[in-house]
Amino acid sequence: MTSESEQILSTTESVCPECLAKIPARRVAVNHDIYLEKTCPEHGVFRTVIWRGEPAFTSWIRPKTPAFPANPFTAVDRGCPYDCGLCPEHRQHTCHVLLEVTQRCDLLCPICYASSGKQNTPDPSLETIAKWYQRILDSGGPFNIQLSGGEPALRDDLPEIISLGRSQGFSFFQINTNGIRLANDPAYLKALKDAGLSTVFLQFDGANDEIHQKLRGKPLMVSKQRAIENCVDLDIGVILVPTLIPGVNSQDIGNIIRYALQYAPTVRGVHFQPVSYFGRYFDYHGDESRLTIPEIIRALEEQTDGLIQIEAFRPSGCENALCSFHANFVILSDNKLLPLTQHQAKTSCCCQPEDGAQGAALSRNFIARQWIAPKPDLQLPITQTQSLGEWDTVLERARTHSFYISGMAFQDAWNLDLERLRDCCIHIMSPDGYLIPFCAYNLTSQSGRTLYRNTHQKTT
Amino acid sequence: MSEYISSDDLDTWECAACGTSLVIGKVMISYLGSAYPVDLLKCPSCGLVLIPEELAMGKMLEVEKSLEDK
Repeated sequence: MTSESEQILSTTESVCPECLAKIPARRVAVNHDIYLEKTCPEHGVFRTVIWRGEPAFTSWIRPKTPAFPANPFTAVDRGCPYDCGLCPEHRQHTCHVLLEVTQRCDLLCPICYASSGKQNTPDPSLETIAKWYQRILDSGGPFNIQLSGGEPALRDDLPEIISLGRSQGFSFFQINTNGIRLANDPAYLKALKDAGLSTVFLQFDGANDEIHQKLRGKPLMVSKQRAIENCVDLDIGVILVPTLIPGVNSQDIGNIIRYALQYAPTVRGVHFQPVSYFGRYFDYHGDESRLTIPEIIRALEEQTDGLIQIEAFRPSGCENALCSFHANFVILSDNKLLPLTQHQAKTSCCCQPEDGAQGAALSRNFIARQWIAPKPDLQLPITQTQSLGEWDTVLERARTHSFYISGMAFQDAWNLDLERLRDCCIHIMSPDGYLIPFCAYNLTSQSGRTLYRNTHQKTT
Repeated sequence: MSEYISSDDLDTWECAACGTSLVIGKVMISYLGSAYPVDLLKCPSCGLVLIPEELAMGKMLEVEKSLEDK
């Protein structure tokens, strides 16, 4: 039952955080905050905040036509979220595929969606990884590849894994890393670049050691800085990736942006990930431990002294609108940020759907273009050929000094919305060769049970 | 402020609606709230602006691609 001050906005489906059974859910507005409310016949009522304040939940929409998998690997049997592989009813093509090339890790972070570092799982062989690449091609690829883990840089043969992917027709490779080896072993970083590494997705939770100590158990600022400097030397693009936890590093958002700008254009941008309660960190302590998309957007404006404005941020044309935000900027010569994006607030009554398949393709191309280091040949001033004056200056900076800020709100057993899950474009390759949406693969019940991770072990 | 006019264009173009020869004039190119002044050929009577094919298919197309969002 809702009280008089509450309004049911819409309905969807979710799962019970206790038993992972599929149950109906509804999105309920209480003043400017939105909650996902659901009832399990066995385990009772669950209510989780999914949106706090402005930009308004009702304005954050970008509907797409469904883009069903070209070649689904599983059939519909029990229904979403139990048939992932992808199944024929999945509504978005793949943008990124995560390949977990090791479960080993040289950190043992309290937060880790992959629960890495503890298992004694052997690394997949090059032969297995070649089969994974082939499965991606069979599904409709090639798509962008994220080499993940565990800590992928613990594998000495990571350059060979990239070369292998190149030989099978893939062109974009990012490494999801804590940066420790990249800091200490520039020859290894060079080998990765020579093999075809496109960009470094660098775990970066804050601009001071106190934060790293809390989240990762070690002071890591020196190694983060050295890793970035090595990427500067080798001209490899870097995206900083903070995991945001309320009260731990949510106050450091502005400092992270300022730090990133110091190393731009090698640092191409910042990609925020508000904490989710899955993997090793599934013990949810209520709404106080939750950070929603609009809160991060407002913090970006509040903590950067007007450098960044809320209006620049918009939902994606690829994944579900409620999963992410992003904005593109040009860093001008006076270090101001000129926004290249603008959110046109719309309401659900007058917003025509965009082409979902085209949205996925645009997203893949955008990442492949914007997350890599600017090519040296682009640094020739175009004003030398045709002059459009001040406009030219902006255009030149756009080619050499673009800057990207984004964030993705992953879903856990408490806030899982199956409409969002069906729209997911970030897919993990399971060891046995299936493409599982990220939030389904990592879904973890209150007691630590998973639907997919550790259950799809047999290799193809 | 800048210009994008070739001497050939200056001599050959006239406005089809007004029958007037185009002249060099200031035009504001705007993008997401920012406006940039450039000199282009325009009709002194009705204000119609000529965007030469070379500009449209060259730099403008390149800009559109480079600013394409996801």
